[in-house]
Amino acid sequence: MEQELKAHLKKLMASGDVAGIIALKSERGMAKPYLFADASELECLCLTPKYPMASVARLLLDEDGAARFAIVCRGCDERALRELAKRHQVDLDRLVIVGIPCDEEMARECACPEPFPSVVAVGTKLEQWEAEDIGAAYRAMELDEKLAFWKHQLEKCNKCYGCRNACPMCFCKDCELENALWVKHGRLPPEFPIYHMIRAFHLAGKCIACGECQRACPSDIPLMVLNTLLREDMEELFGYVSGTGADAENPLYTKEEMQ
Amino acid sequence: MAETWNPKIVGFLCNWCCYAGADMAGTSRMKYPPNIRIIRVMCSSRINAEMVIKAFQMGADAVFIGGCHPGDCHYVDGNYRTQKRIAVLRRLLEHLGIDPRRLRLEWVSAAEGEKFAQTMDEFAKEVAELGPSPLAALQREVL
Ligand code: SF4
Ligand code: SF4
Ligand code: FES
Repeated sequence: MEQELKAHLKKLMASGDVAGIIALKSERGMAKPYLFADASELECLCLTPKYPMASVARLLLDEDGAARFAIVCRGCDERALRELAKRHQVDLDRLVIVGIPCDEEMARECACPEPFPSVVAVGTKLEQWEAEDIGAAYRAMELDEKLAFWKHQLEKCNKCYGCRNACPMCFCKDCELENALWVKHGRLPPEFPIYHMIRAFHLAGKCIACGECQRACPSDIPLMVLNTLLREDMEELFGYVSGTGADAENPLYTKEEMQ
Repeated sequence: MAETWNPKIVGFLCNWCCYAGADMAGTSRMKYPPNIRIIRVMCSSRINAEMVIKAFQMGADAVFIGGCHPGDCHYVDGNYRTQKRIAVLRRLLEHLGIDPRRLRLEWVSAAEGEKFAQTMDEFAKEVAELGPSPLAALQREVL
């Protein structure tokens, strides 16, 4: 898929439609997000590990007023871009999305709701994909079991802010997690459960289930459980699935009465 | 020292409707249990998730939010935002293992002193049945 993708991108570059291509570059055995501006560099393009590309696009578009870029996107990256566009954080007209599918192993690891973007430029998307239902076991627990579970899990938190920093949907300049009114400074672990509840609640209707927060967590806290449960709630309560088409808006930000 | 436990309810009431309703209950000398500590806000939509969670974390056994009836919000659509926010927040509380009945939202108009008193009566009874909030207990452990 990598070779095919490089050929595709070379053509795109030659067309002169875009000022550069946002993708991962491999360098000394590691990968970093990179803006490819020259076709000769594309040799170093790589696809793994998974990286929140939407954040890169957001920061880059912010810097440069008019240029258009292509961006290599997985399913989650596209969902993130859509949701960011709804919050006026990226201008989709300035991006050409080059979609790539995830393989079964990656999709399973993320329990991804849709491991491919709407249009797949190269590669073949998984047929008949069904994500593992992470929420089910937790919904079935009794209240005191849930409380004991989270008390134990969240006590492991060392307040590194990794979950927030990795999240493509966290773009606020002032973060309430740093507001001493809610989260006491210099306290470890952060008081139970406000830190994680603020994060979960602020992501309601925004979280696109990319799994970056959980991957970033050095304490192995199953953050995706809360995110998945809230994604299900948003769908149940309002029929809203974050990351879908531009015409659907996060109901928590609209002024309409709840049905 | 043995203390009898009485539910502590933090109430956020909007200035224009529910607070005026509570005021009316007071001036009309209606009786309702003294468990609620009232905080007046300009609109129910001023209440965010942080405030509710912090109230629980600081030892509230329950949180009450009172706003204007649909169509009556002084700021037109504030109460619709509140309604949706609280619906999601109740789900989140439940996921964490906190009984969502501890968070209640009601519409009370300025003329509904009686509804306010009745609601408080009901809610205080319900919370008393639920017992002390587990988060309040954790808080006492830390102190
Ligand atoms: S909360 Fe986690 S899964 Fe959801 S968008 Fe942010 S990083 Fe991705
Ligand atoms: S990444 Fe994990 S340890 Fe770091 S702040 Fe988030 S939950 Fe806590
Ligand atoms: S002013 Fe009462 S709910 Fe908005």
